[in-house]
Amino acid sequence: MRAFNAELSKLFSLPSIWLAFLIGAFGPAVIAALDSIAEKEEIIAGVSTRLSEVGYIGLALGVQGVIILGVLAVSSEYLTESSESGGGQQITTSLTVVSSRLHLLLAKAGAVTVISILLCVVAIMTTLSATHLVLGEYTPAFEWSKLIGAVCYWTFTALLAFGITVLTKNGIIPLAVLIINTSVVSFSFLLSKVTKLAFYLPDRAGAEMFMFTSDRFHTPFTGGLVMFAWVVVLFIVAAIVFHRRDVAS
Amino acid sequence: MSVPSSRKITHILRAELDKLVTLPLTWLTLMGTFILNLLLAAAFTSVGLQGAAGTQSILNIGLASMEYLQAGFIILGILATCSEYTGGQIRTTLTTIPWRGLQLSTKYLALAIITIPAAFIIAASGVLYTFIRMRDTAVGFEIDTMIDALAGATGYLTLTTLLSAAMGALLRRTTPALVVLLGYYFILSPLTRDFLPRYKNCFPDTAGYYMYMAPSSDEINALTPMQGTGISMLWTLIFITVAIVFYCKRDA
Repeated sequence: MRAFNAELSKLFSLPSIWLAFLIGAFGPAVIAALDSIAEKEEIIAGVSTRLSEVGYIGLALGVQGVIILGVLAVSSEYLTESSESGGGQQITTSLTVVSSRLHLLLAKAGAVTVISILLCVVAIMTTLSATHLVLGEYTPAFEWSKLIGAVCYWTFTALLAFGITVLTKNGIIPLAVLIINTSVVSFSFLLSKVTKLAFYLPDRAGAEMFMFTSDRFHTPFTGGLVMFAWVVVLFIVAAIVFHRRDVAS
Repeated sequence: MSVPSSRKITHILRAELDKLVTLPLTWLTLMGTFILNLLLAAAFTSVGLQGAAGTQSILNIGLASMEYLQAGFIILGILATCSEYTGGQIRTTLTTIPWRGLQLSTKYLALAIITIPAAFIIAASGVLYTFIRMRDTAVGFEIDTMIDALAGATGYLTLTTLLSAAMGALLRRTTPALVVLLGYYFILSPLTRDFLPRYKNCFPDTAGYYMYMAPSSDEINALTPMQGTGISMLWTLIFITVAIVFYCKRDA
């Protein structure tokens, strides 16, 4: 529990974490508001076809906030300080204090999970109020199961980012790959045109928990299960690698 | 010691080139981008091969991966400027080269010298791969159009790299710079294209799109390649100027 508190305090003291909070909490609302404005014109013109999915696109794209969170939680540990302040890495101090590597990893993952759940709840609240504000009486009812799906999607994505960064130790690659992959032009979308196996990629499967894609492949529940399986496998691999690897390497 | 100014510039340029070439991440990024581009070209080609024969243009498919490819060059630009700030290299740099404006401009020049050949090779490899796979099924094209498109693609990637380097110099930290730029290029820009179609030609990436992609005939307000280059270059110059002004005024 003390390790968990320490991880929380380390996370909150990172300067870049505020960028993650800002994007995670308000990004979805802004995108949902823009989407609602476009949708409102269609409703008034009477050609609306996708009223029920309004707002969810904001939640799908706003997941970037927790990607930054998951990546930073690990990459900040491996950042080499400048030579003027000793050239050390935080990870050596962390492992001196919490000597069990598995404990450290679990505490860190726990902190990331808790923060991403909270961040997603905040994001859902801002998104819902933004949609209400713009659409007024036309606002569709948001289903609880889909909102819970969005929370799961955010948490799993944060843990995926966390696991990948443990393997790479450097924040640039996971950040670039994951941000591009949440965008409109994602790799998995491209791959899904080439092979059906791409539907089992974590983000494609996970998005089916709450998005309405035209070419549905999984039910929301199996989509969530597939994504969870990815998270578990990645976490086990990351734990083994982290356990066996020399910190200085 | 007084050095003639032309010698001075060559010295600075050589130093900046040395610094860029010796960064291991520069080569990793470029090689990663090259391999990724080939994989993407393969994916786009097999999507294209499923379509009706004789309708696709090799150039459009070969350059379709540009949208992803720019990520590699964004990373390259950010690394070039932000690597100075990890570990206080910047103070050594400014001790040996105390002319800040000159130093940063030369850094952009050195970055462009590395980016232009790399961008050309990477863009050409994608087109070449598509050509080999599709030469029987797709419509032929003239060599002039291909050279134009490749030159445009190289120019676009170079401008993007320079813009990212300017952004990196402004923000001075890798993670925020990366998030801001990737967030803009991959999330915000596709969204604004849908929600605000009126202004879409004013932004660096959407205007730059016309530098290498021939506009389809049903588009109403398409730009010519020259207009696209102009707008894109204007954005890059603005960012570089702002970066240099801040660099000269700010405490390092």
